[in-house]
Amino acid sequence: MVVFSSCLKQSIPDAMLRSTKGTTATLSYKINGNAVNISVDDADNQSVYSGYTLSVTKNAGYFLLAGSGITGEITLSLFTDSLRTGNYKYISGYGPMFVTDYNNTNEYVYAPYDSTSVNITSYHNGHIDGNFSGMLTPLIQAGNPYDTFGTPSSVSITDGSFKNVPVFY
Amino acid sequence: MNKKLFATFLLFFFIIQANAQLGVMKLVGNGTKDYKMGFGAFIKTGFPVTEGNDATLEIGANIFPIDDRYGTVMCPLKVGYRYTLDGSGKGFYVEPQVGYDIYGVTSLEGKDGQDVNLKYHGVIFAAGTGYLFYISDVSFDVNLRYETVIAHGGSNNMVSLGISKSFGFGRRDTEY
Repeated sequence: MVVFSSCLKQSIPDAMLRSTKGTTATLSYKINGNAVNISVDDADNQSVYSGYTLSVTKNAGYFLLAGSGITGEITLSLFTDSLRTGNYKYISGYGPMFVTDYNNTNEYVYAPYDSTSVNITSYHNGHIDGNFSGMLTPLIQAGNPYDTFGTPSSVSITDGSFKNVPVFY
Repeated sequence: MNKKLFATFLLFFFIIQANAQLGVMKLVGNGTKDYKMGFGAFIKTGFPVTEGNDATLEIGANIFPIDDRYGTVMCPLKVGYRYTLDGSGKGFYVEPQVGYDIYGVTSLEGKDGQDVNLKYHGVIFAAGTGYLFYISDVSFDVNLRYETVIAHGGSNNMVSLGISKSFGFGRRDTEY
């Protein structure tokens, strides 16, 4: 028994700290094949003052699934008053929509074939799991009154997934 | 009321015949590199089971400092069986023990600089060996023990080197 217990891989404080670490939220995707990963420990206790790193927040008429990592941020708008499992699609016909700023280039739903699609596969205990994809157009130059966009639908979001992302109301 | 009875029971047996022990100990295993050498104090008593062999009851306190402010404290209560190899009640012996950590706390500095106090209880298993000898009719015990406390899916493991001296208000036929 002594030998068995010695095989436990962590000390009691480490085990307790791990158990109190809380939920780890993750979001990952590939943008034109380049992997982006965002992970937040103790995701339920992110500070609203310093800004959420990975979260869903409720706004008037929509929810915003947003994450920020070292390559930039991603925001996926889910237009609903009541978040549920299911598909949330945004197409360019609804109007230009910022999605991500990968390596300082803003990517939009803008061109005719651009869109984002978010599937919430699970919504439990205030956390969502799911997957997403998208087709985007880069913003080359922000201007007034007109912006200059790059090659239409030249940015692809693939293999998008998220897990345990907390929903803050 | 039950706690008072239990405390009285312990006191009664410890008063009859007990050993006071001091020990130095070291936490070993994962997550223990920041701990300095620890120390502990114990009171231990024994009840003759056969000639030369005792059932033992031990309560103590172990302190493992990290620095002046942080560290771990554990208070084990254990029962054991001390078997002297030659059956004489002195000389070399082995002693397996089981017990319960009636109080354990680890104080650490949290991420934001605040103190974090992790309190726990846990099951204890220990295996020890030692040498019993007498100086002027007073028994001494030098011992080496490996002990593990299990709680919350983790374990605190330690190696302890101790020396104890008997004291008591009564005597029995078989000293230990």
